[in-house]
Amino acid sequence: MAITTVARPKPLRWWQKHRNRVMLIGLLFVLPALVNFMVFRYIPIIGSAWYSLWDYSLLGGFREFVGIDNYVRALTRDSSVLNGFLVTLSFVVLKVPLQVTLALLLAAFASQERRGMGVIRALIFIPVVTSFIVVAIVWGMLLNRDIGLANSILQTFGLPRQSFLTSQTNALPSIVAIALWKDVGYSVIILVAGLKGIPVMFYEAATIDGANSWQRFTRITIPLLRRALTFVIVTTTLFSFQVFIPIYALTSGGPGQATNVIVHYVYQQAFVYSDMGYASALSILLMAILFVVSAVQLRLLRRGDW
Amino acid sequence: MEKTSNVTAGLGFGPHARRDRASSFVRRWGGNALTVFLYAVIAFVFVTPMAWVFGNSFRSPASIFANLNPVSWKTFIPFDEFSLNNYLQALGVGDVARGLGFALDRALLISLVSSVVVVGLSLVFNSGAAYFFGRLRFPRKNLVLMYVLVTMMIPQQVVIVPLFLVVNQLGMINTFWALVVPWYASPFITFALAQFFADVPPELDEAATMDGANLFQILTNVIIPNSLTGLLTISLLEFQFIWNEFYWPLVAISSKELMPVQVAIATQFTDRDPQWGRVFAAMVLASLPVIILFMVLQKYFYQSAAMSGIKG
Repeated sequence: MAITTVARPKPLRWWQKHRNRVMLIGLLFVLPALVNFMVFRYIPIIGSAWYSLWDYSLLGGFREFVGIDNYVRALTRDSSVLNGFLVTLSFVVLKVPLQVTLALLLAAFASQERRGMGVIRALIFIPVVTSFIVVAIVWGMLLNRDIGLANSILQTFGLPRQSFLTSQTNALPSIVAIALWKDVGYSVIILVAGLKGIPVMFYEAATIDGANSWQRFTRITIPLLRRALTFVIVTTTLFSFQVFIPIYALTSGGPGQATNVIVHYVYQQAFVYSDMGYASALSILLMAILFVVSAVQLRLLRRGDW
Repeated sequence: MEKTSNVTAGLGFGPHARRDRASSFVRRWGGNALTVFLYAVIAFVFVTPMAWVFGNSFRSPASIFANLNPVSWKTFIPFDEFSLNNYLQALGVGDVARGLGFALDRALLISLVSSVVVVGLSLVFNSGAAYFFGRLRFPRKNLVLMYVLVTMMIPQQVVIVPLFLVVNQLGMINTFWALVVPWYASPFITFALAQFFADVPPELDEAATMDGANLFQILTNVIIPNSLTGLLTISLLEFQFIWNEFYWPLVAISSKELMPVQVAIATQFTDRDPQWGRVFAAMVLASLPVIILFMVLQKYFYQSAAMSGIKG
């Protein structure tokens, strides 16, 4: 009888081992998402850092390598950039405190367990789910100097007609009001959720200890609402820095440059003047600034552990 | 009993509102009057604009302006004239409307299809990613997590120009793909789903593994059926986001045949159009689907809003 040699098992390649196979299959679940983030989130930033070093346009292509000149231009020669940042800053400084205060008051009101509060919450939230472009056009009509509803209401009460969006002084506050109307419901819902999470017994204990309503508000409500408040302040600030749609739809940055926020100015540079290289440089600058703003905000809000 | 003012009762910090209401007849009625007043003010501020748009979308311009001043209930409710003409025109029904170039019907279809496709793709790919982060073992998974977390810090509107340049390189600008491909996965949705998946007891996975299920079967037969609420919440959020998205389609789509409804509204129906009824009708058509969806599924909208600062 022939002696059959026992075949020695070939050593397994590393991907043939069961543990590694499972790992590789696991990777397949996440890979499409990772590719998406690389192509549509990381590469755009790396790419635009590269584009920002060129005199680049869609039709003209890479015309000339200009190094950091686009950045120098933005920071020293182009007064519209400074104006854009200042207008954006005014918008943020006007809007964020107003939105947080209003949201806090509305949330305190709407978090009560009373009949009809569900309806109130729904009404406040409707602008949030309506598209901003529709909201902007509607308010453009409401605020029209000659035939807008807002002026009709003023006139009905015997007040003089106002120009809102076409006036140098009123345009930015009007945009702030519109954006507030649109966004406040979002903050309200988050704060209502936060308020409902505060145990009732805290208030009862404080009342027994003789705390008045203001003390209860500042010593219990605000500290225990801190997480929700932090979230609302940080996100509202970040989103407000990026305001674009109402400016695009209602004022195109005007009158003059009174409402030309930075994101709208970047849009103009990129898609109206097709100066893509410069627009890329501005995008990178804005990204850097927003990064610093959110880092500082988180640091400030985390400090002071009440 | 501790005396609190009616103002605080109205603001309702904690349980005091209720106690106050019972404490005295006068205070109770005072408190309720304040509540009703605040209720009316809030309703007025938040409802008036859209009510005005809706009511006047059935009117001719002459009738809109005739009822505008002085302001009364007639300003909002179209008793004098009620026609669907504005809607037909906005949708491009009839030769006149086609001649003027209105075709909101097509724009609505583009919006619907792109939103549904994004929601579908995003459920598939984000569920996969969420499953990976929530359940699977992988060496140095923290690094992969960091890679995803960092993308969440990139502000959406600011990177539109860079994104445009990349999508342009891929040859997708001004194609339907530009509306869906960049959004097939989202770090926010991945993490939101991972949260929901975490609520599914791991014992179920183990039992399924014992029965010989592979990773894919565990995801589709165990995890997903047990997180349907989460998936619905996420889908709503994503649908609303894509339906309402404006800046990206504005720059990515220039041909009229591919414009989603929000861009079509901004470019074809503006406050400069003297035919306001037509503009109103277009705006109702562009926002009503999401508003109705919200009315029906409020609970899930609140959940999704509370969950994260998602706008991108």
